[in-house]
Amino acid sequence: MLIRIKFVLNDKLVEVETEPNVTLLDLLREELRITSVKRGCEVGECGACTVLLDGKPVNSCLILAPTIDGRNIVTVEGLARDGKLHPLQEAFIEEFALQCGYCTPGVLLTAKALLDINPKPTIQEIKEALSGNLCRCGAYQQIINAILKASQKIQNNNR
Amino acid sequence: MNFHVIGKKTVRKDALAKVTGAEKYASDIYLPNMLHARVLKSPYAHARVKRIDTSKPEEMGAVVVTFKDVPDRLFCPRLVSTPEATYKDWRVLTDKPAFVGEPIAAVAAETEEEAQKALEMIEVEYEVLEPVFDPLESMSEGKPKIHEKIILNDREIKVENNIACRLELQEGDLDEAFRRSDIIIEREFKTSRGYHNQLEPKVAVVKPEADGGLTIWCTTQTIHNTRLLISEIFNIPVSKINVKKLALGGGFGSSIQTNIVVPIAVALALKARRPVRLAYTKEEDMHEHSSYQMIFRFKIGVTKDGKLTGGYMENIMDIGAHQVQAYPLLGTCAGWWVSLYKLQAVKYVGVAVYTNKIPSCAYRGYGNPQVTWAVETIMDELAEMLGIDPIEFRLMNYVGEGDLFWGQGPTVKSIIKSCGVEEILRRGAEIIDWKNRPRPGEQKGRFRRGVGMARGYHTSSAGAPVPSQVVDYSGAILKVNEDGTVDYITALIDQGGGTLEAHAKIIAEELGLPLKNVNIVSADTQTTIYDVCTHASRGVYAGGGAALNTARKVKEKILELASKVLNAYPHTLKIRPDEERGQAVIYVEGIPGKEITLGELASLARVKNWGTIAAIESYRPPACPPHFTGYFVEVLVDTETGIVKPLKVVIGADVGTVINPDLAEGQLHGGFVMGWSRAILEDLKYSKETGDVECRGFILDYKMPTAKDIPEEIKTFFVETYEPTGPFGAKGLGEGAQNPAIAAIANAIYNATGIRFYELPITPEKLLEKLREKEEKQKKHEIVQHLTKNG
Repeated sequence: MLIRIKFVLNDKLVEVETEPNVTLLDLLREELRITSVKRGCEVGECGACTVLLDGKPVNSCLILAPTIDGRNIVTVEGLARDGKLHPLQEAFIEEFALQCGYCTPGVLLTAKALLDINPKPTIQEIKEALSGNLCRCGAYQQIINAILKASQKIQNNNR
Repeated sequence: MNFHVIGKKTVRKDALAKVTGAEKYASDIYLPNMLHARVLKSPYAHARVKRIDTSKPEEMGAVVVTFKDVPDRLFCPRLVSTPEATYKDWRVLTDKPAFVGEPIAAVAAETEEEAQKALEMIEVEYEVLEPVFDPLESMSEGKPKIHEKIILNDREIKVENNIACRLELQEGDLDEAFRRSDIIIEREFKTSRGYHNQLEPKVAVVKPEADGGLTIWCTTQTIHNTRLLISEIFNIPVSKINVKKLALGGGFGSSIQTNIVVPIAVALALKARRPVRLAYTKEEDMHEHSSYQMIFRFKIGVTKDGKLTGGYMENIMDIGAHQVQAYPLLGTCAGWWVSLYKLQAVKYVGVAVYTNKIPSCAYRGYGNPQVTWAVETIMDELAEMLGIDPIEFRLMNYVGEGDLFWGQGPTVKSIIKSCGVEEILRRGAEIIDWKNRPRPGEQKGRFRRGVGMARGYHTSSAGAPVPSQVVDYSGAILKVNEDGTVDYITALIDQGGGTLEAHAKIIAEELGLPLKNVNIVSADTQTTIYDVCTHASRGVYAGGGAALNTARKVKEKILELASKVLNAYPHTLKIRPDEERGQAVIYVEGIPGKEITLGELASLARVKNWGTIAAIESYRPPACPPHFTGYFVEVLVDTETGIVKPLKVVIGADVGTVINPDLAEGQLHGGFVMGWSRAILEDLKYSKETGDVECRGFILDYKMPTAKDIPEEIKTFFVETYEPTGPFGAKGLGEGAQNPAIAAIANAIYNATGIRFYELPITPEKLLEKLREKEEKQKKHEIVQHLTKNG
């Protein structure tokens, strides 16, 4: 059974046909070839496939594609604006907050959602927010540092 | 030393692709007209396929391969060792599965879903055989045979008592050494069985080419060994196979060998004559590889003034159902042990045993974290028995500069030329306030603080001055472009630690180039020369050595051509990076204007028909120098829940010259997080009933640390030494970054509770049980004392 859905993906309207049992992860990767959404555990444990759904971080492996009809999806491609990196992306580069990079898109989106609702998070709040994103390279400290730095950058930009 | 780029904070070249989602991993490769594959795996830990019928899926149009369709040839998926050290017992697909998850057949269809449906239509009848899970039981008489015959050095050998291979070593007079000892300690240790959980599950995409060759994109730590193996299994000329280099979503040793998805996808692609993509799920990945589980028995002697005399080590390794690198691991485990502390006499007995479990392979440290955990526990215990400070005791006995070192096993020996052990231990002790640490077992109350330390090392590569049983060399190609940049072409894979970034700095340093002018270009087996594999912490040391040697050759050519243009002698010319012009400038010192940029020179060389400035070099490292680390860990033990939390971690390292300080620091952080996980959390448990892992491959039930589990403070420092055999004095780091972590954590837990653990991981359950036992003993002791006093 094909279902036609419309949703906003990184500020662009997308219209696709999908099936009831297709996950958002599969729709984004296999249909739309958004390969920045990484396939990890597919049981909602590792966070590699994190995307923003109406601004909130979700494991796209746990969301059925038809349920995003009429909603807003952001992947890491949606972070940079007018050819300029998001302050989080800049901070991740500057603070060496990545190693193999496989968790990075998911971590960036989790961090974006955090800073959107809590522009000046404490270290504890950052740790709490990141607890659904595994980084097997163990770059957690660098990731936390980068999020703190990005928070500062955003505040400076808004001044 | 005065470097213009080495040791400086610079942005890593792959960071932009990684933060924008543009980086391509094997799992991101999709080809036109591609089929998708699924693999049928044994549900039994030990069985024989009596009948297999693939007619139904084939009628449906699916492409099916079984053990009948693949070459009947045993192979070893890892090609790092020489043939006399390579045991072959693998098949691409088998009719006698020896673990739950062993591939029997595979299917390719237009979609993954169709492939799965087709897979479910294959009819298989199994004869279920008795499995054996315990290594000690497996090696006893009369147990089910997991393998009858295997291949070593192209000869068939018989497997006796499920013993895969063994290694015994003896040096010096051990009896005499024990006679001279005042204390002889005997301990038994059992390690856990870990799962790498590199975040990227293993993938292979295989495209058959018109000339009968193949193009392969896959998860790997070695593109050249992948092509050699596929050539060996399928009898395709090696030159017709091209393996592409991609980013790797974590390795940690799990892709040193060619992953089984590669030959399976090859078999399907050859049959289908279409590209095939085979992507394992996380559950399948967890059924594909695990770490080795080991049982150690140690007997070590020491004199009362604190000099170690001799030691005996027995190592029984549960390797699972197949050999990836069990034999060389028997050698390195001996090496890890004897290269930690000086012993005048040693005896080692290593036995690798088959069991009906998921095959084991190297896992960051290749047995070193486990051996170091055991040895550093014993060193702590001996220091306490002798009444010597544990740090002083270690400094009295460690293997250091000028000593013979054979970390990579008995065939890989060299002399240590750089060593910062003493400074690591002294500085670390000061930062953690070692002198004021709690007294072991004296604390009361629910929360108990403990401070522990351990030291260790790992080899940088497996190089040596003479040939050994390990293949270890790298290669590089460098060419100067007409815009003054340099293309660096290497087969060496960056696991994520930033190895290639270090190479770029080494090249920039040697050629006087701005760092941005070194391009790390895409590569494959067709366009590169051989590199063995990214393992053994060899990337910066051995791969960097190749990059440096090649850069030196390029520099000679630059100076030779520049001497013609500048009318000066080549050996009087100098090169400096001119950041403003964004170029390397070749100049004559003291004569203003006598200069030319590298871009101008390369362009001129074209017009004058002097040719391209380029070089290609293969490089064998002359040693495998140890990089040293020291861990100081402060923990808090909750005696009501058994939960241990890290409070503060101090890690010191001697990696020779630090090429990339921030990335090196990242390795130490990552080393702690993984070490913490292996000390406290991770263990693959097997169900005796199903023969499967109890978590069934779901990481929901296989926990590992998140951001919430790291301590508030991780302090790292580097002791700078200069390794004369390394590129600009550098050594490796990736594995030494973790090796002593487990030991230091275990020693900290002892310091907090007075309890030693001889089995990993130290879970809250085990901790509570031991705490209760200890309390009861204490009570009994108090009662006895009370009775004696009043009786």
